[in-house]
Amino acid sequence: MAATTASAQTRDFMVRGFGDVGSTTFTAAEQSFAAVLGSATGMVFGGGVEVVLPVRVFANVRASRFQETGQRVFLFEGEQFDLGIPTTITVTPVQLTGGYRFGASDRFVPYGGAGVGWYGFKEASQFSTDAENVDNRFTGFHILGGAEIGLRRWLALAGELQWSTVPDAFGDNPNSVSHEFNESNLGGTTFRFKIVVGM
Amino acid sequence: MKMSGRCAATVLACAVGIGIEAAAVSGVLAQDASFLPRFPILLSELTAPAIDRGIHEFDPVRAPRTEGTTLQIAADGEPFLRGSIIVKFRPGTSPDAQRAMLSQVNGALTPPLSYANFDIVSIPDTADPEATARRLEAQPDVDYAQARYRIYPQFVPNDPMYARQWNYPALDMERAWDINPGATASVTVAVLDSGVAYRPALMRYNARFPFRATPGGPVLPALGLIDVPFAAAPDLGGADRFVAPRDFIWETTTPMDLDGHGTHVAGTIGQLTNNSIGVAGMAFNVRLMPVKVIAGDWDFILGSPLQGTDDVVARGVRYAVDNGAQVLNMSIGRTGPPAPVVQEAITYAVSRGAFVVVAAGNEFEIGNPVERLAEFAPLIQGMVAVAAIGRDRRRAFYSNTGPYIELAAPGGNMRAGGSEGGILQQTYDFDFVDTFLGSAAQYRAPRFDVFAYQYFQGTSMAAPHVSGFAALLIQQGITKPAAIEAAMTRYATDLGAAGRDNEFGHGLINPRASLRGLGLAK
Repeated sequence: MAATTASAQTRDFMVRGFGDVGSTTFTAAEQSFAAVLGSATGMVFGGGVEVVLPVRVFANVRASRFQETGQRVFLFEGEQFDLGIPTTITVTPVQLTGGYRFGASDRFVPYGGAGVGWYGFKEASQFSTDAENVDNRFTGFHILGGAEIGLRRWLALAGELQWSTVPDAFGDNPNSVSHEFNESNLGGTTFRFKIVVGM
Repeated sequence: MKMSGRCAATVLACAVGIGIEAAAVSGVLAQDASFLPRFPILLSELTAPAIDRGIHEFDPVRAPRTEGTTLQIAADGEPFLRGSIIVKFRPGTSPDAQRAMLSQVNGALTPPLSYANFDIVSIPDTADPEATARRLEAQPDVDYAQARYRIYPQFVPNDPMYARQWNYPALDMERAWDINPGATASVTVAVLDSGVAYRPALMRYNARFPFRATPGGPVLPALGLIDVPFAAAPDLGGADRFVAPRDFIWETTTPMDLDGHGTHVAGTIGQLTNNSIGVAGMAFNVRLMPVKVIAGDWDFILGSPLQGTDDVVARGVRYAVDNGAQVLNMSIGRTGPPAPVVQEAITYAVSRGAFVVVAAGNEFEIGNPVERLAEFAPLIQGMVAVAAIGRDRRRAFYSNTGPYIELAAPGGNMRAGGSEGGILQQTYDFDFVDTFLGSAAQYRAPRFDVFAYQYFQGTSMAAPHVSGFAALLIQQGITKPAAIEAAMTRYATDLGAAGRDNEFGHGLINPRASLRGLGLAK
């Protein structure tokens, strides 16, 4: 059997690139995202670069993007009134992750890690001025775990689950849904599939 | 003041007779309406086109028109009608029990009225309506009883286009209209007022009584049969803008404005905008429902069967909401004792999904009495009482203060800002309406087909800004009355003392912010 990236990584220094697609749920601000976007869950696309050291330690940097368009709302006594004014939420995390790859199998490599991220958050509504729109970046932390399956020496497929916390990202503006729901954390859970290329 | 015995036989005739006798024209007795042709008579639905005489800003200052100075009050000096009161019996009270209670006050039920969950009880002309109402209210089977207080337009007119309408930029309306360009015809705003110049007509009236327009002034003769031309206000739009018109003063379906107040108010709510003509309105695509519940001077002169009293207003409120109005504008009001019949009607209207806007009153400088149609606004989520500000964003000199004030809007203040400090809208050219204010020789039939742009000031002018704003919010998606009120108060621009206060309530309405609502983070 030909050596795969998975098996090779346990022996060699590797530099790899990856792309991913997944579903993210803003569990820490679920009501707020659901109110404005209709759901707190959406697609997220990303990619990055990863370095694997011979001692099974890896480090990667990943950038991703979540973008959905919903509408501005008014909330009153538990009831939501949709206002029909389009508003687009864009979340762009840049994450630095370090972790360990367990060597149970050459073809199947579970891994886990943690890291720090810088989360871009933009909210732009129709009819709003620049000052009324939001464009901020916040620092957060995350942990993740997954498993990688080697398909070729240079190609692997992985499934990964991540939990993140991004405290104090919003909720301070009294004229915001997040303030209404007392939600301030941009974090949540993300499940994604990764395609890893490199050796 | 006294009433003729004959007049006591019919409530409608009494309403006419009271005023005429007290106008110090001796020898004139009230006439039994049943012996007379029913007026007005619609002679033609086609008339010559309306005449637009442009802006009137340099006309002589007219006497302020606040409560107590209309012809009706000049006539009998009392703020309520004699000869009848309003009574609401508790559900299940038998007719026998009702009669027994009424017999104690020499009262009798009159025929049931449309759009009324109360009764009008006739009482002797000599009886004090307030005392009689108190006696009945003490009965266990009576919900409430009250005198039939007259209700008045809430403005201080001053006779005299968009650049002259400071009121809209003051509310940032240009940007608000970017979000919601004037609502749509799916929203109906009822204008409970003196009627609206909404259609052409040639009407025949019978001006049967001489009267004195001002105390000590000349006695003006009875004009007899007169043909009065009406036209739709050119800047209010065509007939398709108006739905379910109703007149509770003349008991007809043609609420012709014989005053001009209702037409001015309707203009601020829904004047056609961006049409290269005249001035703008807040919600310029809505449908308007003219509901006439107050009488103007000409209604009085021409012998309208009813006046604008609490019961008439209550019926108008119920009519409006039962016929699909989502917003009720009430640029009317009165002081005196509480008005439970109106409070109950407004509570009913809000429970049926209508948002109610009431002017807060213009009597600040004459003792700042409680404005009775506005006072219960804090108790009803979905009703707001509106104070007035001038161009300087300060409380207008006339605007009432009190715990019932919830919002403020531009009402104009010509004392601080000159004639252009008022609210400009199209209404009648009063040179053709107020013919009774001159000499007897100048007194002639009015014309309601000649229009001009006039500056008015008053909480009457403030309220329609809020009604138009409510229509925009409904169109935008905030449909429940309580939520509309919350959206208005939440985003109001705080004026005066920090937080809610008795001058501005929660502050100056901020339509753009309310229409934008909430984003996720901002």
